[in-house]
Amino acid sequence: MINSFPPGLLMLLGGLAIPFLPHHTRQIWMILILILSAISINVDHGVHIVFELMNYEFIFWKSDSLSMPFAIVFHIAAALNIFYGWHEKDWKQHTSAFTYAGAAITALHAGDFLTLFLFWEFTVLTSVFLILASNNNRATSSAIRYLVMQFTSGALLIAGAAYYISVTGNSELTLLSLDNPGAWFIFLSFGIKAAFPLLNGWLQDAYPEATVIGTVALSAFTTKLAIYALARTFAGTEYLIYIGVIMTAFPVFFAVIENDLRRVLSYSLNNQLGFMVVGIGVGTEMALNGAVAHAFVHIIYKSLLFMSMGAVLYRVGTIKASELGGLYKYMPVTTVCCIIGAMSISAFPLFSGFVAKSLIMVGVAEHGLIIIYLMLLFASAGVLEHSGIKIPYFAFFGHESKVKTKEAPIGMVIAMVFAAFLCLLIGFIPSLLFSLLPYEVDYKVYTPSHVIGQMQLLIFAILAFIFLIRFKLYPPEIPSTVLNFDWFYRIFLYKLINSIIKVLFKIWEIFSLNFINSIKFVYSKIQNNSIQSGNSAVKVGRSTVLILFSLGFVLICNYLLF
Amino acid sequence: MMQKLSLKKIGKWFSLIILFVCALLIIAEFVFHRYGETKTEDILLFPAFFGFLAFIFIVFAGVLLRKLVMRKEDYYDK
Repeated sequence: MINSFPPGLLMLLGGLAIPFLPHHTRQIWMILILILSAISINVDHGVHIVFELMNYEFIFWKSDSLSMPFAIVFHIAAALNIFYGWHEKDWKQHTSAFTYAGAAITALHAGDFLTLFLFWEFTVLTSVFLILASNNNRATSSAIRYLVMQFTSGALLIAGAAYYISVTGNSELTLLSLDNPGAWFIFLSFGIKAAFPLLNGWLQDAYPEATVIGTVALSAFTTKLAIYALARTFAGTEYLIYIGVIMTAFPVFFAVIENDLRRVLSYSLNNQLGFMVVGIGVGTEMALNGAVAHAFVHIIYKSLLFMSMGAVLYRVGTIKASELGGLYKYMPVTTVCCIIGAMSISAFPLFSGFVAKSLIMVGVAEHGLIIIYLMLLFASAGVLEHSGIKIPYFAFFGHESKVKTKEAPIGMVIAMVFAAFLCLLIGFIPSLLFSLLPYEVDYKVYTPSHVIGQMQLLIFAILAFIFLIRFKLYPPEIPSTVLNFDWFYRIFLYKLINSIIKVLFKIWEIFSLNFINSIKFVYSKIQNNSIQSGNSAVKVGRSTVLILFSLGFVLICNYLLF
Repeated sequence: MMQKLSLKKIGKWFSLIILFVCALLIIAEFVFHRYGETKTEDILLFPAFFGFLAFIFIVFAGVLLRKLVMRKEDYYDK
């Protein structure tokens, strides 16, 4: 019975019952459905469900060593979300988050382009409500922009897939080379979802505007689905190395000056995706293992960081660094969990990030990409700055708290503690993660050289932070808006289109005014002539010509306008 | 336990621990034969200098970036 549904589809369908269930029953229902979905991923690798329509084979369920680790961690993320949102009584958010996770897991098991497109679009439709649920003007505008960008990505995917299938006759998701327009369209489509440089504006625009549980859900699926799709179709594409390394570096600077801590995490998410994209671009077994491992651990520690910031937002009502500080006294468990997430993302030894990032770094070094390697090392220091230090420091320490609050609700605490436990478990026993990766791992993570090198990088970077704080050189947080690439369509494009429309209207105004004046002129001439001639037949004839002329003008206007 | 600690105390202890670990790491550099994935990393205390300088560069570059991309909080709401 379970095996007749692809993993995730059961969640997508089961989610439809959520609005009709009472508060706590709804959470239990989601857990049950999630367990059934999780059981179903435990099948042999291969194609399990194919649906034929109009001579096209929709491969609804294909599992292999690449989809498996993503499927496992997507289920973990969905479980974290259920517990984290236990306090939330709004059924709309639960329906949205649960079906979104279901759509993402189903998309993960798609074996062909059209099935991927179908569930790719479902992830957009289901997730947008997590932003809309914030119920304010900013969130609504942001949700609309999110929709436009995601549907653009979907349109590019279907256009590219249609071209590719018509040329090659192959619809299966397989390795593509960028030698035809179809592949480029697909590449660009995945690029929007993976938040490539210049295409990343939607991520930092939309994610921080979502609800407390919404941002946690959003952080897990869409971008990692894109990473999975890139790994499946564009592994070894050299462009990705350069795109990825830019992705790791540029968000670091924006994150330093951003005041909204959930937006800081969104920049950080972008930076982490960069590491994965580099790994996929390198394309060796070691680097691909690194990219997948990084996606796996990243989903957990990024969820943990977003959960801790969500808990702060839930309790304090703001997530602006300039208004926070000193919360360690009131939210000790959240503080410790946040620090564990921060140490994981910073890749401290014995934390999950160290295990995964090492694989990518070794993959890059083995490939002889020294400059890229050093840039990734630089980006690692950047990660420590914004996610390792800035997030816990400004939220929980920084200065004495201006508000008195209490620890996060029990559901949130359970989810955070579980995620923190997973970060430590993978850090302590890397073989647990390695056994899930697509290729066999022949790498020893904990060697004295590796540990000392990484600790030097991180601890001396922290020393730099202490030095800057001590000498009051660290920039204070300022309530502000940091312009990102979404500025181009929110302001620049808006103003450009506005001015073009204004110019067109002006031209039309001048044209129509002159036209009316010339008609008036002709009419007055005719009238003058008629009065002078005093002949009624001439008068009638000229009036008829004038009426016909006016009618013709109206007809032309009608044709042009409608 | 955390509730009883003042921010000043936490800051002081944190700084002391970091300084202590820094000293340990410098000693470890000479005790163990540390080598990196690339030859550049094999330079004496390279990760330490790299981490320290990269952090300072990122922070100051961020301050400069503020002049270019920072606007009022209600910039998009107007």
